Amino acid sequence: MPDTIPAPALPVGHYGYDQVDRAFLADRVEQFRDQVARRIAGTLSEDEFKPLRLMNGLYLQLHAYMLRVAIPYGVLDSRQMRELAHIARTYDRDYGHFTTRQNLQFNWIRLEDTPDILARLADVDMHAIQTSGNCIRNVTCDQFAGAAQDELVDPRVHAEILRQWSTLHPEFTFLPRKFKIAISGSPNDRVAARFHDIGLVAKPAPDGGTQFDVFVGGGMGRTPIVGVHLRDDLPEEDLLAYLEAMVRVYNEYGRRDNIYKARIKILVQALGTEGYRQKVDAEFASMNRARYRLPPETVAAIRARFGTPDLNAPDDAAAQFDRARRADPAFDRWVRTNTHPHRAPGYISAVISLKPAGGIPGDATSAQMDTVADLADRYAFGEIRVTHMQNLVLGHVRQDELHALWQALRAADLASANIGLIGDIIACPGLDYCALANARSIPIAQKLGARFASPELQETIGPIEIKISGCINACGHHHAGHIGILGVDKKGEEFFQLTLGGSPGSDASVGQILGPALPEDATVDAIARLVDAYLVHRTGGERFLDTYRRLGAALFKDAVYATA
Amino acid sequence: MSDVRNNRREAGGSSVITANRLLDGRIVWQVAEGDWSPMIKDARIIPNAEIEAAIAQAAARQQADGLVGVYGVQIESDEAAPTPVTVRERIRAFGPTVHPDFTPAAELEAHA
Ligand code: SF4
Repeated sequence: MPDTIPAPALPVGHYGYDQVDRAFLADRVEQFRDQVARRIAGTLSEDEFKPLRLMNGLYLQLHAYMLRVAIPYGVLDSRQMRELAHIARTYDRDYGHFTTRQNLQFNWIRLEDTPDILARLADVDMHAIQTSGNCIRNVTCDQFAGAAQDELVDPRVHAEILRQWSTLHPEFTFLPRKFKIAISGSPNDRVAARFHDIGLVAKPAPDGGTQFDVFVGGGMGRTPIVGVHLRDDLPEEDLLAYLEAMVRVYNEYGRRDNIYKARIKILVQALGTEGYRQKVDAEFASMNRARYRLPPETVAAIRARFGTPDLNAPDDAAAQFDRARRADPAFDRWVRTNTHPHRAPGYISAVISLKPAGGIPGDATSAQMDTVADLADRYAFGEIRVTHMQNLVLGHVRQDELHALWQALRAADLASANIGLIGDIIACPGLDYCALANARSIPIAQKLGARFASPELQETIGPIEIKISGCINACGHHHAGHIGILGVDKKGEEFFQLTLGGSPGSDASVGQILGPALPEDATVDAIARLVDAYLVHRTGGERFLDTYRRLGAALFKDAVYATA
Repeated sequence: MSDVRNNRREAGGSSVITANRLLDGRIVWQVAEGDWSPMIKDARIIPNAEIEAAIAQAAARQQADGLVGVYGVQIESDEAAPTPVTVRERIRAFGPTVHPDFTPAAELEAHA
């Protein structure tokens, strides 16, 4: 094919909008502008307006409106990041909050400003659609997609295909409940595929094409369940037809009478894996497959609208990198925790921690967002990824430039060396912001972060995942935490229940409740005792999770509850 | 927003009335009919025996007053200034605990 489209015209790492996409977004903004005007004039009641604003990502939270902006498959470009910074500075309080769904939330938005904000987002091909409501939500993806050494298939093209398929899908706008899909292309699950309504893992097919492992019925919330493996050989051309069949069966049989039993996980449990599979297969067999077929040409056309990085590191990049690591122990420590191996020689992926000791997990100031955008332009083809762990990633960094990048990050207070360690805590907004919360998540995360601030101590403790939710909705993924912390309400006061042994990865498991909930002022000390017990009992290179799985809960229970 | 947890009222206690402003979503407390303040210290204190009627009255004119989600909040009986009994409503009244600059008191000072 003649090379007529210059690569830089397209954003690296995500789909480049065309005029049809842009016209649709512009219409959508004007539609919402009219709805807001009618709400303010009183011709729309709050009951009438609420579903309309939620379809545009606008929630009314505890202190103000909150706008949740979609970041499809967690990838954005520097221009988009700068616009988010501008919105934070102009319409909010100078910061944004990156979420476990790889989205961004603004916590202090005015209803009146929302149409203008959505118009600004549309200017950079962004929106807030599918960030709320009982629809197929924004699809999440591996933060190292297209870069990771262990990846078999870059899943972002398929994530984009799923985005286009699901966006305002007329049949799936009013599902029994919200519906979350995650996709990865690596055998090492970094997307919690087994905790999603549908989890997909792309891999090479025997014929040289692509096929998918399909998990279904996983989820957190009130009823945490590890998803079941539905099949391991879904051909690419049947991806949309089969997912359509899966969601149709849910749409038809999912419970609408009880909000707590409405997710697909409950349906899959009720029918059994085999029963659900049979219904999906029957639906699939009855479909007009030609209509839903995903031909290789369509995949290629979507792929062609992704910019690709020109990976071209100097031959001595790795040698320079080694020298820098040897010369600078602080840099070396950060490299050990905050990088991931890249598929291309001389490149590496860098994780920017949004978890400074004592800080608010996932928060970034406007200035930090601008800095990340500038650094992405300088070092990473203008591409930025958001992780479900509430951090950021620069996917393609030259190894010989990593030291300079790290120094720039350090100057912006963005170089905490704690990825995967005890300081890398997931915390939902909790009772400081969220209207549904029972208890505050952020202060517990801040106290734990401060308590375990020392990088040396964090490295000694080793890999451990603490995850905190302010209520049973589990936005903080506590069920999948090695240590999970759940805020509960007891007569109007905050208490915290600990769960141990959860894991979001390929060895997915649901954490088990350790014992009675603890008062707020006892929770951090209890976790410190728990960590001490682990350090005493671990053998060899065991992670906390391994020690827990080997020895069980009893000794940790003693450590937490046997206070003098 | 209205929440089942806010309906716990003790017979002998008192409550205040709260809502969010429609335009910016910010929290306000009823000072008098048609008069609302961001500061809970200004709120009118109503015996629980009368609170349901007062809430109904405020809710009936919420569109005219530019409000959404009117409801009642029980307060401590032994505090000099109105103080909600639940931690949730204390956070609504006094602001997020993680951003001292964003509390209603700090905002008032900043705009003084
Ligand atoms: S887990 Fe609960 S408190 Fe936390 S953000 Fe979700 S709904 Fe709010």
